[in-house]
Amino acid sequence: MADVVLKNVRKSFGRAHVIHGVDLAIGDGEFIVFVGPSGCGKSTLLRLIAGLEDITSGDLFIGGERVNDLAPAKRGIAMVFQSYALYPHMNVYDNMAFGLEMAKSSKAEIDAKVRAAARMLQIETLLDRKPRQLSGGQRQRVAIGRAIVRDPKVFLFDEPLSNLDAALRVQTRIEIAKLHTDTRATMIYVTHDQVEAMTLADRIVVLNAGRIEQVGTPLDLYHRPANLFVAGFIGSPQMNFIPCTVAEAGQDGIEARLPDGGTVTVPVSSEGVRAGAAVTLGIRPDHVRLSGQGTLTGRIELVEELGENHLLYVNVGRERHLTVREPGDARHEVGQEVGLSLDGGFCHLFRETGEALPLLKPAGFPTSRPSAASTSIA
Amino acid sequence: MSGAALQASAPARETMRGGRSSLTRSRVRAAWIFIAPTLIVLILIAGWPLARTIWFSFTDASLNSLADYQFIGFENYVANYDGEWFGLLTDPDWWHSVWNTVWFTAISVSIETVLGTIVALILNASFPGRGIMRAVILIPWAIPTVVSARMWNWMLHDQFGVINDMLLRLGLIAAPITWTASPDTALWTVVMVDVWKTTPFMALLILAALQMLPGDIYEAAKVDGVHPVKVFFRVTLPLIKPALLVAVIFRALDALRVFDLIYVLTANSRDTMSMSVFARQQLVDFQEVGLGSAASTLIFLIIALLVVITMVAGQVRLSGEVR
Ligand SMILES: Nc1ncnc2c1ncn2[C@@H]1O[C@H](COP(=O)(O)OP(=O)(O)OP(=O)(O)O)[C@@H](O)[C@H]1O
Ligand SMILES: [Mg+2]
Repeated sequence: MADVVLKNVRKSFGRAHVIHGVDLAIGDGEFIVFVGPSGCGKSTLLRLIAGLEDITSGDLFIGGERVNDLAPAKRGIAMVFQSYALYPHMNVYDNMAFGLEMAKSSKAEIDAKVRAAARMLQIETLLDRKPRQLSGGQRQRVAIGRAIVRDPKVFLFDEPLSNLDAALRVQTRIEIAKLHTDTRATMIYVTHDQVEAMTLADRIVVLNAGRIEQVGTPLDLYHRPANLFVAGFIGSPQMNFIPCTVAEAGQDGIEARLPDGGTVTVPVSSEGVRAGAAVTLGIRPDHVRLSGQGTLTGRIELVEELGENHLLYVNVGRERHLTVREPGDARHEVGQEVGLSLDGGFCHLFRETGEALPLLKPAGFPTSRPSAASTSIA
Repeated sequence: MSGAALQASAPARETMRGGRSSLTRSRVRAAWIFIAPTLIVLILIAGWPLARTIWFSFTDASLNSLADYQFIGFENYVANYDGEWFGLLTDPDWWHSVWNTVWFTAISVSIETVLGTIVALILNASFPGRGIMRAVILIPWAIPTVVSARMWNWMLHDQFGVINDMLLRLGLIAAPITWTASPDTALWTVVMVDVWKTTPFMALLILAALQMLPGDIYEAAKVDGVHPVKVFFRVTLPLIKPALLVAVIFRALDALRVFDLIYVLTANSRDTMSMSVFARQQLVDFQEVGLGSAASTLIFLIIALLVVITMVAGQVRLSGEVR
């Protein structure tokens, strides 16, 4: 058992409060990914779990045991650093074996472990090399190998792939996923990369300014963001936000009035929402449709071709822009006027406080793209 | 690198002569122009006196008749009159001073290296008041040697010195010790004062090396559960070794030329006489410019030899481990 439980964990550096009371329960064998903007405290939280920083207040349990005062080596964790942190003067073999020497393992046992890890990561031929004779990807593998040989209950990764190029990132990402299926160890992984987060995580933890914004499965966060921050953070390109007022709050949804008069009915719970209240409507770029006479009209300001799809940046007046993602090559040009239709079924509504209004359809969000025919909004 | 790229991209301008392009030749010319002033100054202030000293060592010049001397070949170094040997190389006092100097250098530099490393490790840790500590520790190094030697002379004075007084009060010694005069303690006393004075310098050089080390490997070692002592010997020491070696060579060079400290602390005492003190005695007290120059020349040769040995040994070890 190696579940990790944080109870009201806080951390301050002197007068700077960095982590403000984090509660989180991570199950045994779970793959958890921390995401959040730069400086939100992801690394700090990971280092608190590793024991590289002291917890200012609150409790940390690993495998049911309170480990606040336990040295990092005694916590049954292994950490992979963003900068690799390999010992520059030792060769690959010694880099992996060095920690084991301290654990009083026999020479043969160490040798077997190091070679097994090297085989798994395909670095057997590099064992005699010094770190500076390795490429970035190879170094990263050695760093992961050093973690594997320790046989930890919990793996901690701090942006392990951020120094690799795109192709190597994908490859190493898949290897890490395989490592997780093979070892069934608990893994906590910090990243900036949305794709890494979405593909690797059992559950994603979205952090902002030292607080947890939302915890959930990748699709949960994508389809049911709990607030404006998560909605804006998960998904790329970013969700479009349009300030609206509530025209009517009814049983089967809220009719939101757009700034230039049109309305959209969004099937969300209208509990505690009164007509005239300010709300924010959110819709992902994939769900905005181009149509002859849409809810909104605007002028295309920029077209970005991505190959399998393309992005249109549409100025809808009053310095507001909507991003639209359409499949295939662009059929429009910069400067062209287009109509945009918003399907209420794909929209999110957020209160003035940023909190999302609960969607009425509990079973799940529609997964197919809205077809042109279904965009019949008044 | 950029030079090679430039050359390759301008094949038209390349007029091959002796395997060098005109660009390379103009670079070499520029390099000579830039180092010429340094070379000229060096020749004037170092080369000329050195050459003159070596020349005098082959003459019988004396301080009161510097213009009037004769070339006598190697007689200042070694000479044989009627079966009896003369000259520097047969002078037991000279060899004693060589031994004193080497002993002083070996012992004091060793102690300074160890102490300097310890002090540097302490200063490298973060604790309140670290900035002030770093400044304070440099004070012994900042005081001119003559001043600190005089100061220690007083503190070590056998009748009025504070050190004897303290040791007597503590009951550690029964009678005052003549620290700088007694043959048993004189050289150790010199070593102690030198350690007091020079450890800060050593500590600062090592501290600079420590601060260049990446912090993350220490966190990795922490997660690996490596004992701090082992981390020092297996991680820190190998990584600061190149810098440590440079510091040791620096200090050894200094120590081999030691003069002011010994001269002020113990004057011309034979027990502590270093090579430099010996040379000064010949030159000034005995007015023997020829003999003194011969001693100076030998000092130069001995130091040069030791430096070459150290550098070669260091290189071999370094390349053996790093590569
Ligand atoms: N040792 C420290 N002393 C003071 N403040 C610190 C210290 N370490 C981190 N901080 C502050 O804590 C906050 C969170 O830092 P942290 O490194 O956890 O961010 P992060 O989420 O990992 O960012 P990034 O994505 O850029 O790595 C930052 O505002 C940072 O300035
Ligand atoms: Mg970070």
